[in-house]
Amino acid sequence: MIGYENDTSVLHGAHPYTPLALAGAVFCLVFAARSPEHVGALLAVAVLLAVLAGALGQALRAALAIALPTIVLLLVLHGLLGPAPYSFVGPFLISDSGFERAVVLGGRITTVLVATVAVLRSVSPARLVDAMTDRGVPFSVTYLLVSTLTLVPRMRQRAAGILEAQQCRGLRLGGSPFARLAALRPLTLPLILGALMEVDEQVLALDSRGVGRSPRRTALDPPADTEFEWLLRWMCLVVVVAAWTARAREWLL
Amino acid sequence: MSPVLAMRLVSYRYAGADSPALAELDFEVNGGELIAVTGPVGAGSSTLLMVAGGYAPRLIGGELGGERLLAAERPAIVFATPWTQITGLCRSVFAEVAFGPASLGWPEPLVRSAARDALAWMGITHLAERDPAQLSGGEMQRVVVASALAMGPDLLLLDDPAAELDPLAANSLYELLGRLAGRGAAIMVATPDLDRARRVATRALRLETGRVVADGPAAQVLG
Amino acid sequence: MVRLGVAINLVIGQLAAALLLPLFLDAVGTILVASLVGWRAALVTGLTAQVLAAVLSGNFAWLPFAVVQVVIALYASLAARAGALRSYWTAVPAGLLLGFIAGSTAAPIAYYVFGGATAGGVTVVTTALRALGLPLQASVYISSLSTDLLDKTISFALVCMVLRTLPRHLAARFPALAR
Repeated sequence: MIGYENDTSVLHGAHPYTPLALAGAVFCLVFAARSPEHVGALLAVAVLLAVLAGALGQALRAALAIALPTIVLLLVLHGLLGPAPYSFVGPFLISDSGFERAVVLGGRITTVLVATVAVLRSVSPARLVDAMTDRGVPFSVTYLLVSTLTLVPRMRQRAAGILEAQQCRGLRLGGSPFARLAALRPLTLPLILGALMEVDEQVLALDSRGVGRSPRRTALDPPADTEFEWLLRWMCLVVVVAAWTARAREWLL
Repeated sequence: MSPVLAMRLVSYRYAGADSPALAELDFEVNGGELIAVTGPVGAGSSTLLMVAGGYAPRLIGGELGGERLLAAERPAIVFATPWTQITGLCRSVFAEVAFGPASLGWPEPLVRSAARDALAWMGITHLAERDPAQLSGGEMQRVVVASALAMGPDLLLLDDPAAELDPLAANSLYELLGRLAGRGAAIMVATPDLDRARRVATRALRLETGRVVADGPAAQVLG
Repeated sequence: MVRLGVAINLVIGQLAAALLLPLFLDAVGTILVASLVGWRAALVTGLTAQVLAAVLSGNFAWLPFAVVQVVIALYASLAARAGALRSYWTAVPAGLLLGFIAGSTAAPIAYYVFGGATAGGVTVVTTALRALGLPLQASVYISSLSTDLLDKTISFALVCMVLRTLPRHLAARFPALAR
């Protein structure tokens, strides 16, 4: 996965399912949380995950680069342009409910972002594949998720190559909107057709490597799992279900 | 000993094609044979390999006529373009080569020893920890061949396998194929490289417009 | 084929960006798979692409938009079955309709999940409309819609173009096309 870095942090050494479960729980819980306090608590958990993944610096940078502009926009959308009552914050007249909403929404996005960084940095794709194979996840699922990630950079390179080649043949990238729309054809067509023609070879190669011939693939290096981690993952599920049940009850009653 | 592959008046037509790509193929392949398949571009050499291995029409559609008796339990096919044959799942060459045996569900120690042996046969043990996606075309092709060899195929089909290789590596590959055939594997190589093929092949098939026009000892057919 | 559709979803936007077009084109692969293979494959394509897009962008906050991909996959399969992708005259209106449907599906997600602040251009439009006095929900809806209308129309036109240019031997490989 993009962002994975080899390290010896706590999360790096855990079974790959564990950071995924923890971040997944944070993700689900943060959308159930409605008050700034709850979102703040979950943000703290996400920051803890980032620390455990050795990714605090990266998470802070991502938060600054991505979450901060969004938060500013939210403050404008909801704070400045929100409904009454209003209060003065410095020179600005801010909607009270709008401000709270902006904080909750901004906090959510930041929390998800920080948790994402933690997971992406600490879960190795190779270990994840081994873990999934070990647990009997159908090969097609593993292949689709992980192998496509390898295909994407190669296709991006090819797209860049097609762009250059067509420009050498006289394609102009600028001009009127219609000219630019028309330029889509000589760029996208070779990319898609070229890729379609390779599909057969990929299918043949995989079949030739025995995919689907045995009911169970051998996992070369199945990551170790502990009872504690197993319990932790189940607790995540329980907490998420409990939180969403409570939220559903609030909506219904 | 019964043949690994027997083709009785086999024809094959690609889906949507007007005319068959292969017609009236009639030959047998036995263990220990290294058969060079040659012919002009478009003669059907690549298609023949796909039909021989049982991949067509099963995986790519089309119509098969005649009778094909494939006794091989573990056919493997290698194409000329290595980057489409890398699984994209493995972060090391070792894992990539071990992929086939692992798919077959072999016990872990056997998977590891098969991968080690295959790497050694192809002379790429030094690449074991490298990321397959970062290799050069030639290195990648050798990994792909090693991946096929690791499964201990009884019928090995190679379509212009040395296309991406430098002359030294190409020589090594053909010599290795010769040794493998000597150990009992049945091998078919579609190749424009008649010189190298002549040195190691026991037999050759020459195709023209989808038909076998010559089938005999390599020295005779390849000239 | 699904893997290819996912890759197309994730990569083709790069070409539009190089042309400075305000398009994501992040469903072209889904629509292509819908017309070449069928609705189940298209569904998997769309969902997988959304998951991977979230992973690649480093922000799982994009995951809720998977619902939109589901809608696109189902609609595109129906449209392909009905032959809408055979000619530009039918593909363009069909794409326009999808833009409307997709935009309408994305808007509540953008509103409830992000409070309207999702992607740059869309949010700018939202903010501008809000500043003009429109209610937030309406602003989010309008800005989401305007992007999607153009995006999905072009996506449908692109897939139509690919299908019309497909060499016969390639086209014959895909059962859904024959129907």
